[in-house]
Amino acid sequence: MVSGLSAGAGLPSVEEVIELRELSKRYGGRVAVDGLSVRVRPGVVTGFLGPNGSGKSTTMRMILGLDAPDHGEALVGGVAYTQSDWPLKTVGALLDAGAFHPGRSARAHLAALAASNDIPGSRVDEVLGIVGLSGVAGRRAGTYSLGMRQRLGVAVALLGDPAVLLLDEPVNGLDPEGIRWIRELLRGLAAEGRTVFVSSHLIAEMALTADRLVVIGRGRLLAETTVAELAGGGDSLEDAFFRLTSQATDYRGSEMS
Amino acid sequence: MSGYGLRHVARMERIKLGSVRSTWWLAIAAVVSMAAAGVGVGLGYRSHTPVATAAQILNNSLGGAILAQLLLGSLGVLVITGEYGTPMIRSTLAAVPRRRIVLAAKVAVCGGAALAVGLLASFAGYLGGQLAIRGTAIPAASLGDPSILRPVVLTGVYLGVTALIGLGIGAIVRHSGAAIGTLFGLMFVPMIVAGLFGEDGIAVGRFVPLLMLLNSIAVTSPIPGLFPGWVSVLLMGGYAAVAIVAGGLLLRHRDA
Repeated sequence: MVSGLSAGAGLPSVEEVIELRELSKRYGGRVAVDGLSVRVRPGVVTGFLGPNGSGKSTTMRMILGLDAPDHGEALVGGVAYTQSDWPLKTVGALLDAGAFHPGRSARAHLAALAASNDIPGSRVDEVLGIVGLSGVAGRRAGTYSLGMRQRLGVAVALLGDPAVLLLDEPVNGLDPEGIRWIRELLRGLAAEGRTVFVSSHLIAEMALTADRLVVIGRGRLLAETTVAELAGGGDSLEDAFFRLTSQATDYRGSEMS
Repeated sequence: MSGYGLRHVARMERIKLGSVRSTWWLAIAAVVSMAAAGVGVGLGYRSHTPVATAAQILNNSLGGAILAQLLLGSLGVLVITGEYGTPMIRSTLAAVPRRRIVLAAKVAVCGGAALAVGLLASFAGYLGGQLAIRGTAIPAASLGDPSILRPVVLTGVYLGVTALIGLGIGAIVRHSGAAIGTLFGLMFVPMIVAGLFGEDGIAVGRFVPLLMLLNSIAVTSPIPGLFPGWVSVLLMGGYAAVAIVAGGLLLRHRDA
């Protein structure tokens, strides 16, 4: 078992999926997410694709209740995440690679979060082992490389042995070996029956990791499809992605996103 | 009851507070600054004529609280702004989406720790002063005397409450530098303003933190016109409650 997680425990029932209903969010005058309705199924890796600024991160923050939607709702297993009894045991999330205090060790960071959800301390050592940080767990996390920070973020996501995983650009900053590691970890987690929802702007990487794809642009749903379908149009996967998102890309050419 | 509660979240906050160096540096600095002020005052009075009174020594040897309040206030600020400075706050709020519990746990853990450190610092100030006057004609001040024990304890409580004011300001402002600046401003500016009122200054001044500390809380007998020490400390607690409630309302409704 690639994840080192207990199979059977926390296996999701069919309805234990992420469901977005007419989700909308604007910041000031700018629309970030616009009437997004999506269902994410268990047992497969679902890629969440879109150009930079298309609303992927905002959507993920709304699923976790970090940002409040202006309209619509995000449900996990039929209930809002903010109502979970044990949030970390419900959804494991990696949102930002730097979501820790730089002066705190990885072990203390994990121990603190584990305590909040009554997760035993032994689980901290387990997830440190899974992500390969056991040897440096006592070091201040601020001294970590970007790849190690991503691994610490993955460790947090796995902490509660959750049935649903939510990862925002998890391969950012990872070397080719790390990218392959993430890919196999995610596929293994999905194979155990978990719901894995992973965002990326890298179509080629998603083609290797994901089975299903949710493609958005300017906060709107452009396609719910599979990798096979998207590539089946005759042209390359990348061309198909560009065709899909061509009307919904905010930033081009010399403009910075 | 199923699900997480204050007990779990307080454990998280305790681990967080103890696992960053700034907590320990600020706590040690608060105790050392008060002890040093006490010793300095005692040494300064050793050969002073006329011979100092016990009250003089005590009042002055608690003067390190002026610095200690800023250190512990900063500790309170950092408990919350230290998380906003990085996306750590999102890790916290994803683990505990009920934000009021997060704030309540921070208040309990930070308040408890700051109270303990504040009391330790205050006793260190008292002790420093007493040790430095040993062997002189200056009368020793005994903690068995209520008029001595009261200012020492109240000063410790005042310091603990200062951390909670810092915590509330941190929750409102969210940025370390700006929040610490605001805290320092609130500690010193009202004192200057009170001074502008001249004769009537005391009517305003008795509500000003630093003036309360120096003239009502950390003294054997308050200056006439000021509240008794315990009323001043309660007033500080009221300020802390206002800051924390305001911070809590904002925390609940703002996107993280």
